[in-house]
Amino acid sequence: MDGPLIVQSDKTLLLEIDHPLAAECRRVIAPFAELERAPEHVHTYRVTPLGLWNARAAGHDAEQVVDALVKYSRYPVPHALLVDVADTMARYGRLQLQKHPVHGLVLTTTDRPVLEEVLRSKKIAPLVGSRVDPDTVLVHPSERGQIKQVLLKLGWPAEDHAGYVDGEAHPIDLREDGWQLRPYQRHAVDGFWHGGSGVVVLPCGAGKTLVGAAAMAEAKSTTLILVTNTVSARQWKHELVKRTSLTEDEIGEYSGTRKEIRPVTIATYQVMTTKRKGVYAHLELFDARNWGLVVYDEVHLLPAPVFKFTADLQARRRLGLTATLVREDGREGDVFSLIGPKRFDAPWKEIEAQGYIAPADCCEVRVTLTDSERLAYATAEPEEKYRFCSTTATKRRVVERLVKKHEGDQTLVIGQYIDQLDELGEVLDAPVIKGETSNAQREKLFEAFRSKEIGVLVVSKVANFSIDLPEATVAIQVSGTFGSRQEEAQRLGRVLRPKADGHAAHFYSVVARDTVDQDFAAHRQRFLAEQGYAYRIVDADDL
Amino acid sequence: MTAPQSAPRATRATAPRTLAEELRGRGDEAVAALLRARPDLLNPVPTDLTQLSARLSSRASVLRALERLDRFTLQVAEALAAAPEGASETTVRNLLAGPARVKPHPGAEPVDRAAVTAALPAALARLREQALLWGPDSALRLVLAVRETLAPSALNPGRTGLGPTFAEATAGMSPARLQQLLAGTGLPPTPDPVTAVTALTALLGDRKRLGALLDQAPPAAHGLLERLVWGPPTGTVPDAARQVTAEEARSPVEWLLARGLLLPSSPGSVVLPRELALHLRGGRTHRTVDPAPPAVAPVVGRDPDTADRTAAGQAATAVRTVEELLESWSLTPPPTLRAGGLGVRDLKRAAALLEGTEGDAAFWIELAHTAGLLAPDGEVDEVWAPTPAYDAWLQQDTAERWTLLARTWLAATRVGRLTGTPDGKGRPRAALGPELDRTLAPSVRRAVLTRLAELPPGTAAGPDALLPALRWHRPLRGGPTGPDGRDLRDQLTGWTLHEAELLGVTGRGALAAPARALLDGADPAPVLAPLLPEPLDHVILQPDLTAIAPGPLLTPLAQALALAADIESKGGATVYRFTPDSVRRALDAGRTAADLQAFLAQHSRTPVPQPLAYLIDDVARRHGVLRVGAASSYLRCDDPRLLDEVLADRRAAELRLRLLAPTVLAAQAGPETLLAVLRTMGYAPAAESAEGDVVITRPDSRRTPPRTPPQPVPDGPARPDDALLAAAVRAIRAGDRAATAVRKDPVAGPASRASAAVPRTAAADTLAALQTAVLLGERTWIGYINAEGLSSQRVIDPVKVEGGFVTAYDHLSDEVRTFALHRITGVAEVEE
Repeated sequence: MDGPLIVQSDKTLLLEIDHPLAAECRRVIAPFAELERAPEHVHTYRVTPLGLWNARAAGHDAEQVVDALVKYSRYPVPHALLVDVADTMARYGRLQLQKHPVHGLVLTTTDRPVLEEVLRSKKIAPLVGSRVDPDTVLVHPSERGQIKQVLLKLGWPAEDHAGYVDGEAHPIDLREDGWQLRPYQRHAVDGFWHGGSGVVVLPCGAGKTLVGAAAMAEAKSTTLILVTNTVSARQWKHELVKRTSLTEDEIGEYSGTRKEIRPVTIATYQVMTTKRKGVYAHLELFDARNWGLVVYDEVHLLPAPVFKFTADLQARRRLGLTATLVREDGREGDVFSLIGPKRFDAPWKEIEAQGYIAPADCCEVRVTLTDSERLAYATAEPEEKYRFCSTTATKRRVVERLVKKHEGDQTLVIGQYIDQLDELGEVLDAPVIKGETSNAQREKLFEAFRSKEIGVLVVSKVANFSIDLPEATVAIQVSGTFGSRQEEAQRLGRVLRPKADGHAAHFYSVVARDTVDQDFAAHRQRFLAEQGYAYRIVDADDL
Repeated sequence: MTAPQSAPRATRATAPRTLAEELRGRGDEAVAALLRARPDLLNPVPTDLTQLSARLSSRASVLRALERLDRFTLQVAEALAAAPEGASETTVRNLLAGPARVKPHPGAEPVDRAAVTAALPAALARLREQALLWGPDSALRLVLAVRETLAPSALNPGRTGLGPTFAEATAGMSPARLQQLLAGTGLPPTPDPVTAVTALTALLGDRKRLGALLDQAPPAAHGLLERLVWGPPTGTVPDAARQVTAEEARSPVEWLLARGLLLPSSPGSVVLPRELALHLRGGRTHRTVDPAPPAVAPVVGRDPDTADRTAAGQAATAVRTVEELLESWSLTPPPTLRAGGLGVRDLKRAAALLEGTEGDAAFWIELAHTAGLLAPDGEVDEVWAPTPAYDAWLQQDTAERWTLLARTWLAATRVGRLTGTPDGKGRPRAALGPELDRTLAPSVRRAVLTRLAELPPGTAAGPDALLPALRWHRPLRGGPTGPDGRDLRDQLTGWTLHEAELLGVTGRGALAAPARALLDGADPAPVLAPLLPEPLDHVILQPDLTAIAPGPLLTPLAQALALAADIESKGGATVYRFTPDSVRRALDAGRTAADLQAFLAQHSRTPVPQPLAYLIDDVARRHGVLRVGAASSYLRCDDPRLLDEVLADRRAAELRLRLLAPTVLAAQAGPETLLAVLRTMGYAPAAESAEGDVVITRPDSRRTPPRTPPQPVPDGPARPDDALLAAAVRAIRAGDRAATAVRKDPVAGPASRASAAVPRTAAADTLAALQTAVLLGERTWIGYINAEGLSSQRVIDPVKVEGGFVTAYDHLSDEVRTFALHRITGVAEVEE
């Protein structure tokens, strides 16, 4: 009685975090339940088949899961749920992918009817070869990822015993001089390495690059790193040279401008998906070397063609890094089955409490439009409405006031529409970084910002990801990609690097009242609200 | 009640000669116990003990009684049936456990002699109580129909696997052949077949002499016997009836045939006589004897407290599930199929609503129906809708509501799980449709729960653990076997455990405290109530616009929250989410923003988060700016002054006019009335097309007229209560006294024949006389009324009395035919 957990019949678990047993309970349920929401008082976890299968893969059995639920639950656990947990977990491992000494990759079963059932599926048929014996069927090695994905969808996840290729060995070591891997980073690396492949979810600014570097130091083999853009690629390179035994010459950049293939190669998603004469010209990079590890930075942005190719890379270790595994296209499941399951996840607020990311004050500034703006908004074409209300002149004046209020702080103004940004740049007398800004120019501006030569920087969505601006303390968002939750999180992430003096970061979202802007803002804030960031709402007039 | 007892006591000195006589000697309590155990005998109440004994000897009644015996008692009866008439208790014990100094057959399972000895008297007492057995312990007599049913024969070896006795197997054999067999076994010839059979039977019953004879048998013959020893006792051989002598015998089969150790049972098969089989078995009728029920194993011990709490949680869920289903069907009642029942699509929808499988949905639906909460409404387009009883049920507290569901379930014969299985014509059965009744269901449910109740509290057992015990207690009540080789009981056992868990009768597989009360016939509600969680008066508000009720809420709070927020997740707790729509809904229902804020602040453990406060204020600010109203007609006019004039006119008051705009008036009266009134007022209005009318419809909750819940299909007659039993026993005694005092000879004697009248006897006497005639193979004279109503007299040789019919050779028509018992007016002896 009086446990911290309430088990709901829809398989969500409510964890009351002020309860004395909450921390203990969180550790016990973390292996099988996904953290869904982490607001202030009650966190929501969800028990999914995927989570249960991952728990099985990590060596937990159904009895442990049931015991954990029963032990910490405040109310009796619905029987149907317990039965379902046992049933679901029993489905894992009936099918196994194995290396056969004679036949190569095979799918075997401990339960013949299951094999018969899946072989009857139209989606499995093209992926398998002939039957070796009643319990074994050949699998084309190139279809290893595909068959795992399809089996997962059929509800009979295969246990992959076929192992990984070691890849071409290459010495890589962490150089921990004057710094150390943080405990959660170590947990993340261990979790990943133990599981073989998978995704690590850490808040922006929590040091995902170091997790990647540490994983490389574990693998000690040639590594392919896929990142979102060139600036990010340079930052990765910089960080690797600084933190590991790797030298400049050992790290290659494979982007639009340079095509170097070195023991550690950093490529951009963009170049991987560039088509020439209807074919992906650069996909052979995957085969260019015998990679022992493939790292996907910002895995939630993984483009579809790379997905397809990743399916063929199942024999290599894969590490996905992200801050927000919310894909607006809903393909989270594909990420899990192709890259691997989630190996580590930490609530943002927990990392903040440990002091590794800066506390942030999130604030929604409500701007009341003038009557003429409202009328113009009401008559705008539906597809133009958002653009109109998010770029109004009233908003611009509010931004000016906010920048003035934080004079002396390093401030980023982030927006979606280039005209609006140009206009703001002019008014605020600040440089603007947008898509057409050259990489050299970008680096120069970022450097100037870091060294506090410039106090205010106006950036477009190119700065959403992987830009290391430790000194930014204020971010002002004026417009965004409609209701994208992960964009909001990424933008907040720009100011979460811990500050030298330890003070809090400020994140302002300027929103036009009574327009779609407000609806989108509500949706955008959901992820962060669920991570425990309580938005304050302030009237522009009260500033 | 004392008088009837004194009379039989007088005859106690000599052993009773018939069952009726013995019944007369039994006390009233014993007769009442018999009637309680076999309530079918009470329909109608027998007039006297002779009639009672005739009725309880009928095959149908005997089969019904045998079906309800446990395995050991049945084995005792089977052993008695395999033994000669009048066997003693010691004989029976030896047949079951093997004689003390005889080596048991290697194929037999070891028997716990002490356990058999201990259990035997109780088993005999049970048989005696049910009047399947009578006579003293030294000469036990099975009721004829029991013996006929259980005695092994070549065609029907039964569970003993024994064959017919030597005498039965040689019936009809030529005297010459019998002499050949005598010679084959080395016995002296006898003058006639009867003595020959006696001599041979004596040899088979003599352990020493028979052993010596078998020692001479060729080894292959031993192997042959070994194959038949545990049954089936018949084997196929070509030309089994060949009259081979000991000298001519070449093969092992012939060696055995020549000595009568195998006997022909048909031209192509031989049978092992029962005496020889028993000898080979070491004297035992059963390979395995189970004097005690098998222990329920394996079982899982859990904390009884956890079990009770889990069950209570599930009980609350069960009540909520039924309520959720019926609330949904209040607004959108599903139609009934033409053949009765519920369409597949509606079942699927219900399953989705209840977040369960279709099987579970069918279970809840059937339960609601059987509990009288759901019924067809009887309208032209018939739908399934909640009954008025449902409204009354809603008023009760959770424990009381659960009690109704659990009681209903325990007694219900309808089995929702059968939904979707193919019926006789191969079509899937519909939920709430026909053919879902299984009379076995309530008895299996009770049996399963009783077995669970016998375990220590908190102990859970699965179907595999329970089934051996269930089978032991009622070996003959398995129901039909399905295509997967599992009988109905196996299936019902699994379903019962599943449903018990769903309903909260068990918690994590262990019987919960409220269910124990339920089984004992007590009221489970007071036991359940303290186990249910206490309702809360507060929620936790979170900045992500959710409110979490960490337990069941007080009803007014739950209703208010459900109005202002959408329910996202249900279970022990409830998660509410505030959205602009949900807040608008609350405002529509008459709450104000300040009111809502105050309500939330009052019931929240945490301060109202700012985003939530903003959400409510934002919605409230825009709420009601646009106004919508209902009017039945309108009046418009380009001249505002004219409208003012109409509005000011007192005669227009009844129209309830309202000025919406300077040039528009809305009226609550319909256009016709408006036109008429305006005309009487002296205006000349013109009608406009009907567009603009606002018609408000609100969905009405559907209710059926009052309905009685469907009754479980009775599995045989109802359990008689003590008052009925006492009355019945008194009536039987009274009738019996009358019968025995006035008429000594139940069968009409020659005197009535002399008058050449049709024989007339009482129905019970007729039955008894015919049964006697069958037993003794006597010729009988009967009066018979044919289907046209013409009476006639016939002389018949009765062969069988069964199911209300007499099968007999009719001398009049010179053929074997059946006579309906109720058309036989009477019976008389035929003078030879």
